Amino acid sequence: MGLLGKNLFAGMAVTARNFVGSYFDGGRKERLVTYQYPEERMPLPENSRTFPFLVYDEDKDPVGTMRCVACKICEVECPPQCIYIVMDRDEKGKPRQRPKVFDIDISVCMQCQICVEVCPFEAIKMDNDYEKSQYGRFDDLVEHLPDLLKSNDYYRQIKPTEAGAVDAKLKAEKEKKAKKAAPAVVPKPVPAALAPKPAAAAAAKIAIPDDAPFTPEQRQWLSGFLSALGAGVAVPSKSVAEASASAPAEADASAAASAPAAEAPAGDWPWHDAGMGMQQRMDLVKDRSFADKLMAAMAQTDCHACGYDCRGYADAIAAGSENDLSLCLPGEAETESMLKKLMQEAGKV
Amino acid sequence: MEKLYQLLDGCKWLANVPDSLLSAVAIVVPILLIITVFPGIFAYTTLIERKALGRVQNRYGPNRVGRWGILQPIADGVKLLTKEDIVPRKADKFVHLLAPILAVIPSLLLFAVLPVGPGLVPVDLHIGILFVFAISTASVLALFMGGWASRNKFSLLGAMRAVAQVVSYEVPMVLAAVAVVMAAGTLSTVGIVAKQSGGFLSVTNWFVFQPWGFVGFVLFTIGAMAESARTPFDIPEAESEIIAGYHTEYSGFKFALFQLGEYLAAIAMAGITVTMFLGGYNGPGVGLKYIGPLIGVGWFFAKLMTIILVIIWIRGTWPRIRVDQLMAFAWKVLLPMSILNIVAVGLWHYMESKLWAWLVTAAWLLIWAIVLTKIGTAQNVERRTYRYAT
Amino acid sequence: MNAAFWILSAMSLIGALLAISLRNLVHCVLSLILFFLGIAGHYFLLRADFLGAVQILIYIGAVAVLILFAIMLTRNVTGTEGPRELFGLGWWTGLGTALIVAAVVWVTVDSAPQAATRSPGQAVSSVEQIGKSLLNQWVVPLEVLGVLLTAALIGAVVIALEEVVRRR
Repeated sequence: MGLLGKNLFAGMAVTARNFVGSYFDGGRKERLVTYQYPEERMPLPENSRTFPFLVYDEDKDPVGTMRCVACKICEVECPPQCIYIVMDRDEKGKPRQRPKVFDIDISVCMQCQICVEVCPFEAIKMDNDYEKSQYGRFDDLVEHLPDLLKSNDYYRQIKPTEAGAVDAKLKAEKEKKAKKAAPAVVPKPVPAALAPKPAAAAAAKIAIPDDAPFTPEQRQWLSGFLSALGAGVAVPSKSVAEASASAPAEADASAAASAPAAEAPAGDWPWHDAGMGMQQRMDLVKDRSFADKLMAAMAQTDCHACGYDCRGYADAIAAGSENDLSLCLPGEAETESMLKKLMQEAGKV
Repeated sequence: MEKLYQLLDGCKWLANVPDSLLSAVAIVVPILLIITVFPGIFAYTTLIERKALGRVQNRYGPNRVGRWGILQPIADGVKLLTKEDIVPRKADKFVHLLAPILAVIPSLLLFAVLPVGPGLVPVDLHIGILFVFAISTASVLALFMGGWASRNKFSLLGAMRAVAQVVSYEVPMVLAAVAVVMAAGTLSTVGIVAKQSGGFLSVTNWFVFQPWGFVGFVLFTIGAMAESARTPFDIPEAESEIIAGYHTEYSGFKFALFQLGEYLAAIAMAGITVTMFLGGYNGPGVGLKYIGPLIGVGWFFAKLMTIILVIIWIRGTWPRIRVDQLMAFAWKVLLPMSILNIVAVGLWHYMESKLWAWLVTAAWLLIWAIVLTKIGTAQNVERRTYRYAT
Repeated sequence: MNAAFWILSAMSLIGALLAISLRNLVHCVLSLILFFLGIAGHYFLLRADFLGAVQILIYIGAVAVLILFAIMLTRNVTGTEGPRELFGLGWWTGLGTALIVAAVVWVTVDSAPQAATRSPGQAVSSVEQIGKSLLNQWVVPLEVLGVLLTAALIGAVVIALEEVVRRR
């Protein structure tokens, strides 16, 4: 029987079973596959992503513990250029390593995740929140820093495997850094990033704690030295104080080391532009000192991925205290090969 | 209506009201009841249909508007009322307006001969069943006018197909009803229901338990589903068909009127099925003294809703029939079957022993059903020859 | 004569007049349907309820649909024609035919023996009586009608079949 047959009734039995089964708890879960939005939401797979957010580590101080250091790598790498970052600076103009303004225009963002891939500090990650509708088309769709900050617990909740991997990596890095710092009593020199703003290096008296073990002459020299170095650095830590206590002994060495820094004040670094290409930067630095050339080879973002800012890393390489040439993360292989070339030319490899 | 008049007449001693007022009330009250009850059933049938189809299709039906979607029909009504009424520019405005009205009026008129309870029929027409069929052929016009007035070739095609379908399925439907009329000996709906009363628990006398009644029931139900263009015969109005068929160019309340007309026709035809085959208001307890009529009304609506639920169930299960399969089915299977059904009724009527009559008619109908379905639905598909294939 | 008679007569006459004078052919058919409804009402008034129902069933449900199909398949979509001339040949022919038909009807009705004596308000024939007389007294015309309808059906099928054969 072509058209008619018992299958007609078999079909009706199937639909009847579907209908009746959907009312009882056993069948309801497997038959009614609707997610009653907005009361229930579909659980999203871990890889799903919508727009970026910034991770902070501790709830009690989100702004203070956020991982972003405003290195602007993501701003540079973003294909539709939807990120706008302004570094937070203190009263003296010295950059605090965190953004004051971090805007992402989500009407432009194409969710390519490139900002996540290039961030050296695991600071920006992709969220999977899709309920971002606003009434306006322009300003309402720009997300600012307070909206973007979300805790590491939230990150761990939405992407457990990824967050676990990130946490493990950060912990390993911290341990490596601690191991590297422990044997060497001499820490890295106080970042010469203070140098770029000579105008801010006014005679600001630095308060050295009273229980620091200095003689009055040492104390006087120390306060003068630190004030000359610039503003914004509180010096409570003992190790730095100890190091600085031995600083007069090495004053010549450090003076020599910072001589190149004193030679070229910050305003005089025309190559210090993250948007400039390598060739252009090297052209600008043709007749300058060796440390300047080394600095021009860096990525110019002052991101502190290497542990210094760009000037400090160049100075450290020039002084010989830093041998690892591959630390410049934004610069990647280009910076490393240029540094190698410069070092070879200078005969210092 | 007669009963109401008698009831009011009995209360005449309360106040001295003139006869004309009594007859006016006796006429108006059933009309008001029909106009409120059956469109209410229509509204909630749409909701039940959507929810039932949803459950069958592994989803919830509408459940946002009220708890369980109770207010959904009201929301739909408000939406359709507030929509812009678009009439195509060169369309025939008068006919465009008349078509949905002509779709609703026959459907509403059909309820006038439906006996919902003992003595509870608005009009006890001498020619009840004939009236039903006369009115339902008048609804064919509405389909045609809807398609014509839209000045849209596709609407016209849809209308033609719809008219062909409706007219084709009317014939076996009417012939199936003729079998019942022959057995009951009267065209009046009240008489047909009265013929099915009595018996054990007021159930066994239903015509559906006789072989010719069962076949007639099946034929009539198929015809009723095709008349109101329900799946599997919903080519005129299916979503994937020629846009929307004859009601493409209708928006807002005119569209609502078409839907109202179609569903009311389906409900009315279901009611006629109940009357003719399932014993109308007969059921256990209908013979009781004072609450008998109420129980009868309850049984009538229970059976009506059962048939409507079966129609909805079929809608959720079976695929749509192609238009040529549809016509073949009507003319090659249903029509011969209905004629043979009439022969079976004749046999049954003239045999003395009712048991033998039952067996003989059952055998006759079974054999012919098998033969006809084998022959009528056979498709002689030849192997295709491709003229330009290499 | 009660009000129903006058209303129904008015409806029939208006329907008939509009059916011959409207410009749009589909509107003409619709007014023809109005006319049929009026006649059906007259049948109900004369207590010939079977005939009235059958009038609706056949004339409105079948004949009017047939006319609409014919219009639709042979005319342009709007159904309007050019202007028809007044007092032309067609007009005189129609008038003549109408007069002849009216004369025939008058003579027939006048000579029918029962028309004057039957008083209105009595049920003249019920379905049962019609059925009985069809199968007893008028059985030969019934069978002839059946043969005629069968011939028409077969003819329609043959015409449709021929086209299909020719097309192939």
